[in-house]
This record gives sequence, structure tokens and C-alpha cells, in this order.
Amino acid sequence: MLAAALARAGSSAPLLSLPAGLGILALGLGLARRGRGLGAALWLGAATYVAFVVHVEHHVDPTAPLVAVLLLLTGELSAWSLDERWRIRADPQLAWRRGAALAALALAALAVAALVVSLSAVPASHGLLLTVAGAAAAVGAAGIGVWVARR
Amino acid sequence: MTRFTSSRLHLYASLAAAGLVAGLAFGRVEPVALAAPFVLALVAALTEHEPRVSIRLSLDRERALEGEEVTATVELVSAGGVDRFELLVPLPPEASIEGGPARALLLRAGEERTVELTLRCERWGAFSVGPVLVRAHDLLGLRSWEGEAGEPQPLRVYPREETLRSLVPPLETQVFAGNQVSRVRGEGIEFADLREWQPGDRVRRVNWRATALRGSLWVNEQYPERNTDVVLFLDTFTEVRAQGRSTNDRAVRAAATLARGYLQRKDRVGLVGFGGVLSWLVPESGTRQLYAIVDTLLASDIVHSFALRDVDTLPPRTLPPKALVLAITPLLDNRTASALLDLRARGYDLIVVEVSPLELVEPSLAASVELAHRLWRLSREALRWRYEQVGVPVVTWRDGVPLAGPLEEVNAFRHLARPA
Repeated sequence: MLAAALARAGSSAPLLSLPAGLGILALGLGLARRGRGLGAALWLGAATYVAFVVHVEHHVDPTAPLVAVLLLLTGELSAWSLDERWRIRADPQLAWRRGAALAALALAALAVAALVVSLSAVPASHGLLLTVAGAAAAVGAAGIGVWVARR
Repeated sequence: MTRFTSSRLHLYASLAAAGLVAGLAFGRVEPVALAAPFVLALVAALTEHEPRVSIRLSLDRERALEGEEVTATVELVSAGGVDRFELLVPLPPEASIEGGPARALLLRAGEERTVELTLRCERWGAFSVGPVLVRAHDLLGLRSWEGEAGEPQPLRVYPREETLRSLVPPLETQVFAGNQVSRVRGEGIEFADLREWQPGDRVRRVNWRATALRGSLWVNEQYPERNTDVVLFLDTFTEVRAQGRSTNDRAVRAAATLARGYLQRKDRVGLVGFGGVLSWLVPESGTRQLYAIVDTLLASDIVHSFALRDVDTLPPRTLPPKALVLAITPLLDNRTASALLDLRARGYDLIVVEVSPLELVEPSLAASVELAHRLWRLSREALRWRYEQVGVPVVTWRDGVPLAGPLEEVNAFRHLARPA
């Protein structure tokens, strides 16, 4: 994911390679040290990508949903790997169910992220319905934020 | 149950918030798209509710012998189901569970699950199994609920006993009937001697063959069968422990073996735990006393103490006159050595079974340590010599040798050198 972004970064590639490299290092350390540094790895990965789209890419990047899902999968698969290190005799179907749940989440996330990106292509003054939908989405996002904070 | 959230949940929340803010700040949709999967993961995690699980823990029995296996059964029912339910049975170091003490299960709604765990009782002791530590997860492990469930189940693991063919007979018996042939003549079965008839002798005791030979009435004398009082004197001041083996473990095993052996012979057996914590049982007979002794032994542990103790601190009834005192000691503490010599001086029939710690103490290659080890062994030899000087047999029970061997050694010692 980061390699693809760096390949397209052109002259900014050396600048972006620093946080990207640090992110990969943090991921490796996180996996080796029972998860410490995993958060930093995701943050650095996300920051590298945002820096790339802000400074290099002047159009909407159509690969953004894929990048988002890959970032989520990086976190989830790393956590799964760490969970499996505990010596617990587990039902075999637990692994299948977790894999299925992760796949379903990734697909749903891809759909949502793709919807967000595609809706951004719609001009802002394209009708009352879309304006209301946009406002509802903003209120919904804020509401989710409040709900998450309260729980 | 206590609710916990994974650190990932906080990470995802922060990433989602940062993405939304970055989208607004830079006027780009990509950061918002980056935040979308994390928002979805948050929503998925936060829709989970605290699971309701009923848990029951039981053991197939409360008593077991060292080395035996006990089955612990955990019965689980969840009305709403749990995506991942983890349980852990906390165990004392004396027990282990085949395959580890933790299990992870899928609990479907309304389904009854039974988990059977095989507990292996590695060492004697009295402990409780449970309550079970439980943790319920959502599928991705973003949120969990932890708690304890199930009533603690008592488990008593009795020490494995040694096989004994014979026991050490006491020098003197008591007045009650038992299985031990007394040295004093009286009414009994075992033939002792002949003597001339005296007024009051019963006709059935007349030895007609001797009477015919000698021309006057002669009667048989017998040894009566009497019981004895045995006091097991367990030294719990200190022990040597190495590689999962200890002198106290073997001392307890020896005490349990001897208690059963003497009680089966209808003798009265008492117990003195002489150490940092003083414990005692007045000599009694019967199966109930055996259980009392074994239960006391299970609670006997090494408690380090600097308190000066001697036999005067014991209640008088714990050491009845003419009792056979069997001291089981690693000969490591001078307080026990002094107390035992004191008992001998008071006329008790004393036998010292030394639980050898030498196999557990390996001398170092360093010259100074090796010298110290040799001095220590010499001091033990000197202590043994002190006991032998006052007529107390000291036998050494080494690791891996049956207890019957040292006891036979005591019998041989008594045949050759009868104490005064």
C-alpha cells in the first residue's frame, strides 16, 4: 500500500519514505513485542498516505477505499496474530468465524469507503436531496463520535 | 462482569477522528475514506452487549491420592450466545491440567456446553479449585467482559504411601488390648515360660506334660497382646527443596504411611508438628484418627521461625508415658535436635528417621563451597553420633529407597543394641 503511494509520489518519494519506513519498522516491532508500537505503525501509515494525497495527488485518488481497508486489515491481522500466541486450547470454528467476520467487515468497509469517495465526485450544488444527505451524514458522524465517547 | 475495551478500539477511534478532521482541514475526501472502515469497526464493536452466562464448576471427587487424576467439569449456558468465551481454572502449583488450564469456546444462544478438564494431582495438599476466571469477547476482540464464576471446590490430595511389611515394635506396650506382643508376662496367646503352680492359677494354664515330668504342677506363662502409643514427631522447621522435590514431602509421606500402619494394628497414634507453627494430635486409635492425622499433615508446611521451642511447649497428653516416638526429620535444625535429645533423656523410646537432604544439595565445584559442604556433612555425622551415644537409632531414608529399608535397619539395631 505504502509502496504504491511512494511509487506515484515522484520527487516527494524520499520525503515520504521516512514515515513509511518508520511505520514498517513500528509494525515489525509491534509484532515482535506483543503489540507495542502497533498503533504508531497505523498512524504512520495513515499519515504517509494523507501526506501523499495532500501534497502529490491533485485529483481524487480512486485507490483510497482500498488503502483504508488495507490499513484496517493490517491492524486486525496483527492483533489476531498476537492473540494466537496465547496458549489456549480453542474450538476450531472460532478461527473460521473470526476470519469470516473480518472478511465481512473488510467488504463492508470497502463499500462504505467507496461510497464516500464516489459521493465526493457529485457536485455540491446538485440538489436539495444530496445536501440533506450530506448534512445527515455529518450529523451521523458526530453522533457516532458522541456515542463512542459515552460508551 | 467487568467490561474492558481493547487498546485497538481507542486506536481506531483516534484514527477515525483524525481522518474526519484531516478531511475537513485539507478539503480532501481521501482522509474521510480512510476513516470510514475504522468508524464501521467501532460501530460493530459497540453494538455488542454484556453476555449473560451461567457457569457451574464441579469435581468428580473431593479426595484423591498423589499422582491421581480428577475430572473438573465446567457447565456453561448462555442465553444470548458468546462469540468467544475464554475460561481459566486457577490451580495451585501442586496440580496441573492436561492441555493447559485455559480454554476458548464458542457459546451459541441457549446451548449447554460442558467442558471436562483433567486435573493431575502432582503433590499432596489441601486446596480449592476455582472460581473459574472467565472472559467473553466479541468476534474481533475489540471489547471483552471479565469476571469470576463458579463456587470454589475443595480438593484434598493425600500423600502416596509407602509399602511396609513390618513396623518398628515399641520397647514397652500400654495396658489396652492390641496386636503387639508385650514383653511383660500375663494373659495372652504367645508362649513365654513355665513356672510352678501358685494358688489362683487357672486349671487351663496347667502344662500337663511338664507336670508329668516333674511330679508337681507347672503352668504356662504367656505374653499378652497389647496396644502401643506411637507419636509421630514431624520436624517442620526447615526443608531442602530442589527440582520439585523436598524433604518435607517425603517426611509427610513417611508420617502418613506409619500412621496407617500403626492404626491398622489397633495402636494409638498421635502427631506432633514441631516447627515454626506447632501442631499436635493426642494419640487415639481408629480410622477417624487416621483422617485427622492425614488432614493435619496436609496442612503442615514449612514456616520459618526464630522462636525457641522445646518439648515443654507441647501439651502433656500429646506425649504419653512409654510412647514410641518416631521422629521424622531432615536433621537441619538444632531446635529439633535438642528437643529429641530432651525426649530421650525423659525416657521415651525414640527412633529418628532422617529424611536425607543430601541428594537435593549438590556440592559446588568451587573449593570453598566444597569445603563448606564437607563440614556440613561432618556436623550431621556428629549429630548422628550424639544420638547413637544415648541409644537412639538414627536411620537415613534416602530418595528413591523404600521406607521399609530404614525401618528394618531400626529393627536390626534394636536386636543388636538394646537401649537401656
